Amino acid sequence: MRIRNVVQLHTVNKLQAFGWPLIIMSLSLTLVLVIGALIVNVGGAGAREGMNQGMQYSGAIFALLGPLIGFGFTAMGQYFPLALGFGLTRREFAAGTLLVFLGNALFYAVIVTIGKVIEVATGGFGLSVRFFDVVYTGLGEWWQTLIQTFLLIFMVMLVGAAITTAFHRWGQSFLWIFWIALALLILPVVAGFLLSEDFRAFAGQVGAMGWVPWMGVILGFAVVGGGTWLALVRRAQAR
Amino acid sequence: MLDESKPLFQAVAEQIEDGILDGTYAEDDPVPSTNQLAAFLRINPATAGKGLGLLVDAEVLIKRRGIGMFVAPGAREALRHRRKFAFEDQYIAPLLREAAQLGITPEELAGMITKEVVR
Amino acid sequence: MTAIHTRGLTKRYPEVAALDGVTVRLDENRIHGLLGRNGAGKTTLMQLLTGQVFATSGEMQVLGGTPVENVEVLSQTVFIQESQKYPDTFRAVDVLRIAAGAYPNWDQAYADRLVEQYRLPTKRLIKKLSRGQLSAIGIVIGLASRAPLTFFDEPYLGLDAVARQMFFDDLLADYTAHPRTIVLSTHHIDEVANLLEHVVILDQGKVLLEADTDDLHDAAITVSGKATAVDAFLSGREVLDRKALGTLATATFTPRDGDELAAREAGLDLSPVSLQALFVHLTTANAASAAEATDIRRASDRAIV
Repeated sequence: MRIRNVVQLHTVNKLQAFGWPLIIMSLSLTLVLVIGALIVNVGGAGAREGMNQGMQYSGAIFALLGPLIGFGFTAMGQYFPLALGFGLTRREFAAGTLLVFLGNALFYAVIVTIGKVIEVATGGFGLSVRFFDVVYTGLGEWWQTLIQTFLLIFMVMLVGAAITTAFHRWGQSFLWIFWIALALLILPVVAGFLLSEDFRAFAGQVGAMGWVPWMGVILGFAVVGGGTWLALVRRAQAR
Repeated sequence: MLDESKPLFQAVAEQIEDGILDGTYAEDDPVPSTNQLAAFLRINPATAGKGLGLLVDAEVLIKRRGIGMFVAPGAREALRHRRKFAFEDQYIAPLLREAAQLGITPEELAGMITKEVVR
Repeated sequence: MTAIHTRGLTKRYPEVAALDGVTVRLDENRIHGLLGRNGAGKTTLMQLLTGQVFATSGEMQVLGGTPVENVEVLSQTVFIQESQKYPDTFRAVDVLRIAAGAYPNWDQAYADRLVEQYRLPTKRLIKKLSRGQLSAIGIVIGLASRAPLTFFDEPYLGLDAVARQMFFDDLLADYTAHPRTIVLSTHHIDEVANLLEHVVILDQGKVLLEADTDDLHDAAITVSGKATAVDAFLSGREVLDRKALGTLATATFTPRDGDELAAREAGLDLSPVSLQALFVHLTTANAASAAEATDIRRASDRAIV
């Protein structure tokens, strides 16, 4: 197995693999700090507390997670044809790429966790801002953030790779079916929220379920996405 | 450079023959190797080799294992003899055919040839 | 030894049979030409032989095994694809670095020399390179990888005349120094004809001709002379092409033993047919006969109706 070559394929361009995500993250963090500094100086203690509450849901961290979501798509869309071109087998590509996904997820999960620990310890960098310590990365203990961020990134990459592979296999018709299926899933949920008191209560219960079940859900998506991807990639053809 | 009307390997052989006839390659001299010929003429080495092989079979060249190909002793004379033999077929017959079409008698033709030689 | 052997190899896509019952045998350590018009199935055949796509039916042996998911075969194979896609963020230097790791026989010093020779800007994004520079990347990888089985798909698209000559010289020199099986696919034949030892002509997914180039010299002859004499001579012979101007005619046909002499005796002029001309004649004749077959089928359909 020439897994080293596949890993190299994904990481040969260091700036692309590690540089840009971290640069964009730093810019985003700087922006949050500037906003924090403005609010703290202009508003009073109340504004500070309100900002800290509101920023629990701040998506600024997606400046880092966003490029990683695209990683699964580009892995299949751009790197797979090149891997075949270099005479690498599908099995080697899948194994190496899985390793890269794992490594990436771990690398960025560690970065986020370190950021969170510092953020919590310094009271939001002394400005009560939240960047790393948000709902998406987990508001609990540091190890929960580590696990949650790792699972989230890993899952998103696998699902992205699966979708791209399926799109390559079945073309536009897959996308239609995919969107229709997604709509069929989401519509009843939306309708339930709007029309049924019972559904709202049920959804509230689901939302409030513990951290562990939520991790189970993410893991479930990762397993389905990964399984689909691995099954499809073994029969994927160059285009 | 090469005669296009013949299979490539024959053209290669003829080019070496021409070289032997005009003294480029003297007897006992080495001739270019397969690879040198291939690179120079931009042709497949197998074709070049086949051309040289033709000359080895005709005993124009001698293969000395590990050293290369050399012009065989007496090759020049033998070639000249063979070419003379083919000359009639290749040049005289078409010449006469064309002359007949133009109404040139053999005597006139001989006269033209003598005049050209003198000039 | 045989490097590639296929039997009845077929690749069907929903809309088209890209390859239809292809049987070829390519010997080891020779330079083979894979000729055909655009869409003839050349790239599909090479994609099958390198395991990039899967066959619908038929068999193939590449370096003694099936290429599909076969590390042993694929690690000895390099396929320089004309339409190779590179990641948006890649520069030539990235591709070369990966190639250096992927091919066991890679010669870095030689690769560096070629990069310089073809003036390849290695630090520029690949998507910003010209067609010729893209071809140069392929040439560097294809040659420096020294793979026992090397496929070049239209390797000199966009190269200028100087660079093309450079490529032919480099290919010959390195092939001589390191003999290997080379499959050169192209529809620009004249320039490479003399480099090829064996050719396969594909047309509409089928093998139209497979032969050693030395034997092809007699595969077709062009005769010219008075139209009446030409036509009289052609009757009963397999004609590939015929053109007439006034009372004169020129025709290309597939000769049998003794035909050359017969033509000379009939007072016709003979001239050889280049590989390029033979290719054009064969593919044109094939297209015409396909159209004719369709016409006949249509006619009989009408008759039934």
